[in-house]
Amino acid sequence: MTTIRARRRPSRARSLAAASALALLLGACTVSDPEAPATGGGEGGGGGTFSIAVGIDPDTFDPAGQTTTTVQNIVDYVVETLVVFDENDELVGNLAESFEVSEDGRTVTLVLRDGVVFHDGTPFDAEAVRFNLERIVDPALTVPLGSPFEVIESVTPVDDTTVEIALSRPSPGFLSALSVTTAGMISPASVTAEGNTNLEYQRPVGTGPYTFGSYTAGESVTVEKFADYWGEEPHYDTVVFRVVPEAATRESLLLSGQVDMMILPPVSDLEALQANEDVEVLLAESDRTIFIALDTNDPLLSDPRARQALNYAVDKQAIVDNVLFGAAEVLDAPMAPSLFGYCETGSYDHDPERARQLLAEAGAEGASLELLTPSGRYVQDQQAAEAIAGYLREVGLDVSVSTSDFPSFLARVNAAPSENTVDMHLLGWAPPFLDADFQMQMFRQATHPPAGLATSFYTNPQVEELLAQADVETDEARREQLYCDASQIIWDDAPWIFLWTQSFPIVWSTDVTGISATPTEKFSAVYARPAN
Amino acid sequence: MTGTTAHIVRTLLLSLITLLGVSVLIFLMLRVLPGDPARVLAGLNASEEQVSRLREQLGLDESLLSQYWSFITGVLTGDLGQSARTSRPVASEIAVRLPATLILAVVATVIGSVVGVTAGVLAAVRRNSLVDHAISSVAMMGVSMPVYWLGLLLILLFAVTLGWLPAAGSGEPLSIVLPAVTLAAFSTALISRMTRASMLEVLGQDYIRTAQAKGAAPPTVIVKHGLRNAFIPVLTVISLQFGALLGGAVLTETVFGWPGIGRLLVDSIGARDFAVVQGIVLVYAAAFILLNVVVDVLYVVVDPRIRY
Repeated sequence: MTTIRARRRPSRARSLAAASALALLLGACTVSDPEAPATGGGEGGGGGTFSIAVGIDPDTFDPAGQTTTTVQNIVDYVVETLVVFDENDELVGNLAESFEVSEDGRTVTLVLRDGVVFHDGTPFDAEAVRFNLERIVDPALTVPLGSPFEVIESVTPVDDTTVEIALSRPSPGFLSALSVTTAGMISPASVTAEGNTNLEYQRPVGTGPYTFGSYTAGESVTVEKFADYWGEEPHYDTVVFRVVPEAATRESLLLSGQVDMMILPPVSDLEALQANEDVEVLLAESDRTIFIALDTNDPLLSDPRARQALNYAVDKQAIVDNVLFGAAEVLDAPMAPSLFGYCETGSYDHDPERARQLLAEAGAEGASLELLTPSGRYVQDQQAAEAIAGYLREVGLDVSVSTSDFPSFLARVNAAPSENTVDMHLLGWAPPFLDADFQMQMFRQATHPPAGLATSFYTNPQVEELLAQADVETDEARREQLYCDASQIIWDDAPWIFLWTQSFPIVWSTDVTGISATPTEKFSAVYARPAN
Repeated sequence: MTGTTAHIVRTLLLSLITLLGVSVLIFLMLRVLPGDPARVLAGLNASEEQVSRLREQLGLDESLLSQYWSFITGVLTGDLGQSARTSRPVASEIAVRLPATLILAVVATVIGSVVGVTAGVLAAVRRNSLVDHAISSVAMMGVSMPVYWLGLLLILLFAVTLGWLPAAGSGEPLSIVLPAVTLAAFSTALISRMTRASMLEVLGQDYIRTAQAKGAAPPTVIVKHGLRNAFIPVLTVISLQFGALLGGAVLTETVFGWPGIGRLLVDSIGARDFAVVQGIVLVYAAAFILLNVVVDVLYVVVDPRIRY
């Protein structure tokens, strides 16, 4: 993470030049009104409004229906989970004060925090936990991130503040999964109140520091401080999330003081923002790995030497510096460092000579390959793909880059091997909680398309064996070692061109403070407050 | 006016066939697009069982014919279906977003018409003067500037540098100024050029010379004898532009975070939310047809010689 502050932005002269050109254009239809207010960014002692510019219009406020981190981030103000990851990426209690896993790994016992109430006055108790956990395994409900909870066999309230969860098999990642917004605790009474139904749950009622206020489609979401919150009281009475899809406009909202904070500025402006002393920039660490998946079924790419060659051919750091404007960290393992199970595995330093030699050994010299990339889904995705293609051409390969909108992209890469026509494609993968389990789905036969998104069709009996052991290993140290060993084999087999973990940039006005981020691409701004 | 009334009734009846054709086209176009709606909606991390369950819920496992049948019978009973993405009724999704786009298009059209016609008349009357050249140059800029770029420049100037106007959203009365001006830029330029050309043609007519010869005041000559006769092609351009603005506000809505229907359409295409896309396209088609009828009536009002 870096936070850089320096001199004023240098863009004023340019905008003035533009201004005079525009004044000419607008001569006939003047809009100048000096009295027009620039809306107040939230400031002032105690109370007030804090506003955040985000890019995605929420699809659903039902915690169980979440797919995007931005929307989860908003829901998290209202709905809390049983456990959370703290600032050291350690799992700690939240609505559950403590948790315990039985010797055989099949019973999880939670002791709940006493005296917590939902926003509608319903007490948060063992019964509420049972209701929520049974809800997210209900087949009638669409739960996109529901797979880690399929191991739940039964949920038994022992007394008001104790819950026992029986699992169908030991599941070491289960506790961590309870930290995902999907497993957020909503008031059982609320699924039939305020226009909600169990299947169409649009006004969430949780236990969080803020209550759900209002949602204007395409415009904003407002949450209000909850007076009876069990934890530390936040500073601001109201938090407004402004939905603004265009990154440059979000940046303008911040620079004009119309919001206090924004996520995801245009990366090409990062340098200017870092030089602007009115704002602070946080390039937060993210667990999203970006990679080029190589079709290991392809006759040319089935040889690990050919795949290693591709890894040596690309200068990842140069692309990060020049195409991603520094907003990424080059991978040194098949997963992000923030995950449980990560260990530093290796590196493929830029070595075109070695790449050529390996290609020759694999008989893949001058091979013709298509590189498919989404456009605008990941930071500078298409631009990075173009740069990668350039490096691959330098070692004698004939590479063409193609792109399409994301649903069409997904249809192509998620096809069964017999119908799959993609040699290589750029993809991002972000585990919803910080455990290697979700990442390792990318390297297992069980999740080959169309069943899952292990789109390089990679499998290795040794890796399958190690991961199967890790699935049920309850000893943390041993499980960590199993993932580390599997990572080493995967790294050498190179089913991907390992690229980087992308950063999650957050920018805020220096008038406010108390803002940070979690490695799951979420901001923590509940305890934001005026800086002075 | 009976002829006109009959014409309108005939147009409206024919438009039902048009709408039916539109419904078939958009239905089929969505289905040939690559991309499985269930997979997109369920998210990258969803399991195959979840995806196939969702496919079933959305009715995507049924035959095309039966899918179309339930869509069209729904439309006929006033039910546009349910959004797969938000699980809200499509009709209410559209009802929430349509007013924002309508207001934006109306304000932009008013700006475009008033400024465009004024500039066009001015340019025609002062033909080959400095004023004419200036207006022509600005109009040239107006038709060639990308909306995206113009919008961002306006935000930089009026929101960031001067701090006069909101940069995005629709929450304040002045929020509409920048998006409306941005959206109006192209049509203003087009309308002014059309007005100028049409005026020049009319001003060369004998009856203008007659009016001048009998001593009518210059403003009367220009507006009453000139503009009114030059107005039919201008009206056509204005109405076409209004239609284009309804559908073409997507970029402006995106740049300014304006909560209109264009953004909803793009978001819905991106999410393969078939029901919403079908609903919006039908509403657009109906709005276009209605607009044409209104313009037909306006022709009669502007030029009483026109009969249907």
